[in-house]
This record gives sequence, structure tokens and C-alpha cells, in this order.
Amino acid sequence: MKYRDYYEVLGLPRTATQDEVRRAYRKLARKYHPDVTQHADGEDRFKELGEAYQVLKDTEKRAAYDRLGHQWQNGQDFQPPPDWDEGFEFSGASNEPGAHADFSEFFEAMFGGARTGRHSRQTERHGPAPDRGAATADDLEDAYRGTQRPIPGQDHHARVAIDLVDAYHGAQRSISLQMPVLDAQGHVILQRRTLNVSIPRGVRDGQHLRLAGQGGAGLGQGPAGDLYLEIAFREDPRFRVDGRDVSLDVPVAPWEAALGAQVTVPTPDGAVELTVPAGSASGRRLRLKGKGIPGKTPGDLYVILTIVLPPADSDSARAAYDAMRQAFRFDPRAHFTGGRP
Amino acid sequence: MKESMTGFVEGEIVEEDVEFTLVELCRASGASEAQLTVWVEEGAVEPQGTTPGEWRFSGAALRRVRTARRLAQDLEINAPGIALALDLLDEINALRARSRRASGR
Repeated sequence: MKYRDYYEVLGLPRTATQDEVRRAYRKLARKYHPDVTQHADGEDRFKELGEAYQVLKDTEKRAAYDRLGHQWQNGQDFQPPPDWDEGFEFSGASNEPGAHADFSEFFEAMFGGARTGRHSRQTERHGPAPDRGAATADDLEDAYRGTQRPIPGQDHHARVAIDLVDAYHGAQRSISLQMPVLDAQGHVILQRRTLNVSIPRGVRDGQHLRLAGQGGAGLGQGPAGDLYLEIAFREDPRFRVDGRDVSLDVPVAPWEAALGAQVTVPTPDGAVELTVPAGSASGRRLRLKGKGIPGKTPGDLYVILTIVLPPADSDSARAAYDAMRQAFRFDPRAHFTGGRP
Repeated sequence: MKESMTGFVEGEIVEEDVEFTLVELCRASGASEAQLTVWVEEGAVEPQGTTPGEWRFSGAALRRVRTARRLAQDLEINAPGIALALDLLDEINALRARSRRASGR
């Protein structure tokens, strides 16, 4: 297992006060919060921050962590010394997986058992727990410890990445999920399962798919929860997506733009023939109505023309450009000088 | 639960086909009824209907309320702060979409 330097994660010296720990966490949490951040690695950073804060904000855990010494480097191979947590409140607890499923192996080994301690459990409920969290496990445990009323299962959330073309035609995906369930002894364990899902035609980036009854199991006749799948489109090298609409840059030769042409254009639904009108300027947008993402109100496909110049890399090519110069007497910067040559 | 012939589970698109009651949206988003009620009072989420029992939330509210719940939990933001943060996030997303359109021309 790898050592985690929680001070480094929060950018703090080991002498930082509890107030400084809280301030540093708050500041970085605002910056890297997955709902707010523009950083691509925001989600991972935010998890690291949450893990570091779980330990350093709790004076007991922090003291135990500090006792490991400061000779360790972040990412260094690490084994906890025997009895490292002797004398601290959270010691001796059984290790239940699931509570911090997204935290590091290091955290799980050192502090993962802490959740049966009363006061640390309190802090966890209020801490930045991962999305599917301790509350589920608690509900299950409470139910196991003799609650008789039927409890509906938890609603679960997961994300699934699809390609733009899948939104045009629909798709089938096998997704793998982790869900907390009770084992025979009443312990909460994470169970992996695979679910085959049909992605409907017309779904858009950021929408949610509700799969009724595919969430957490209910207890005592309670119905199962639902599973919500958030749809994310993978970046496409050619097509840009904006809601229902899709756009595509199409390179054209100068003579195609000037004289008009028939060109073959790819769409997520297959190639189509497109008429480039004579006299098209670079950047002209041509709309293919209804060729965007399908649905009750289908989106449009926008073709954006970009004029590409052929290279003047042979005598005949240079001669052709020279013939153009003579034929046009064209000053593209005429408006800079009020029309004077 | 619907199973298609091939054993693939079919779902419904929340933003298009689903409406939530207060209780349903709380279950789906993980927010408490108390939290959601305060956010409605603050205008951060706008259901149809007048009393909490009659409230009907659009499918699109799910994303908004989940974001609200995470912000409230992770950054301890109160209801007016949540309302402001959601409005600003909407604005940022609109600006990003506009600049994407502009850069792609």
C-alpha cells in the first residue's frame, strides 16, 4: 500500500492549526468541487481532499497519523507499524468495507475501521462522503437490527459513457455496478453486478435514464429502489454537440465555395450529399433540418464551411495563383485603407 | 421493470418522460424533504402546484437538486447560497456553450 501525505494534499505544513486545516480544505474544496470545477481531474482531487480532511480535521485521527512520523513521502510503499493506533479512540473497530469505497487503500487500512466508533461516525455523516454513501449502509444496518417496517430500497446513481452515434441509433451496454448489500452475518458488503441496458435512441448528453427497480434491494417487503444512469457523450473528433443540435466543420476548396459544388458529408446517421451554394464565404453555416439528435423534436445538423487553400508547391500551382491575381485585382484589406490600393 | 426480448433493461429518459413528487425527488436525489422545501421557498427549484403535497417537479429538476445536495453537503452552503450558486452555474454553462459555438463558428 502507498503512503498518503495528507498535509501535502491540503498544501499545509505539519504544524498547521485546526483552523488552518479547515480553511485550506474549504478553499480547495470550492476550487475542485466536481459541480463547479473546470479542472479535468477535479473529481479525483476532490476525493483526495475529502480523504485528507477526514483525517486531519479529527484531532484523534490526526494525532495517530502524525505518530507515523514525517519521514514518509506521498506514494511511498508503506506498512503500518504494529499497534500504531494504540490508545486512540477509534482503535479496535471491525473493518467494514463500503463506507469509504472511493478512498485510498491507505485510508481504508488505517482509518476505515473507525466507523463503529460513535463520534467518528458522526463526523462521517457530515463529511464529504462519496455520492453513494454511509447513509445507505446505516439504513441497511438499522433495518437489520430489528426494524420491522418495510423499507424501500435506495435509489442509486451511476454514469455511462456513450458515443454520439449511439444517440442516433440507440445502443446496448453492459455496465458494472457496485452496490451495498447485507451478507449472511448482517454485515454490509459491496457487491458487483453487471446490468445489460438499452440506451434509447434520442438520448442527449447529461440526461438521466431511470431504470425502475434496479436500485438497492428493499427490506421487509419494501420495493427495490430505482437506478439512475447519467448519460455522458464521449468527445467526438468530428462532431460537436450542443443540446439537440450537432455541428461539423466541412473543408471546401476555393472553387467549390466560389462556384458551388455537390459534396459528400459524413453525419452520425451516414453520409449525405450536400449542395454548397455558389459564392459561399468561409464560415457559412448550412442547416440540415432534422438531422441532429433524433426525438419528438429532432435537432438540426449544422455544416460549417471552411475554405482550404491548395498549396502553391509546383510551377503550375503558382501559375494558377498568379492567374487569379491578374484576373481579380482583389484587395481583401480594402476596408483598412478606405479603398485605396 | 421492463425487460426487452434480449434481456436488456429499458429505461425512461428522466428529462423527457418523468415528473417527480416531493417524496420521489428526495429519494432520487438524496436530499431531505426539509432541504428541498427550503430550496423551493428560495426559488432555487420551481415545481408546479401550490402546496408541498401538490408539488410536481420536472425531470430536469433532478440534476439541479442533486447538484444542490452535493454543494450543501460538501461546502455547507445555505439555501440562499444554493440558489445563487445554481443560477451562476446555469449562467456559466450557457456562456461555455456560447463560446463553444463561437469558436467552432
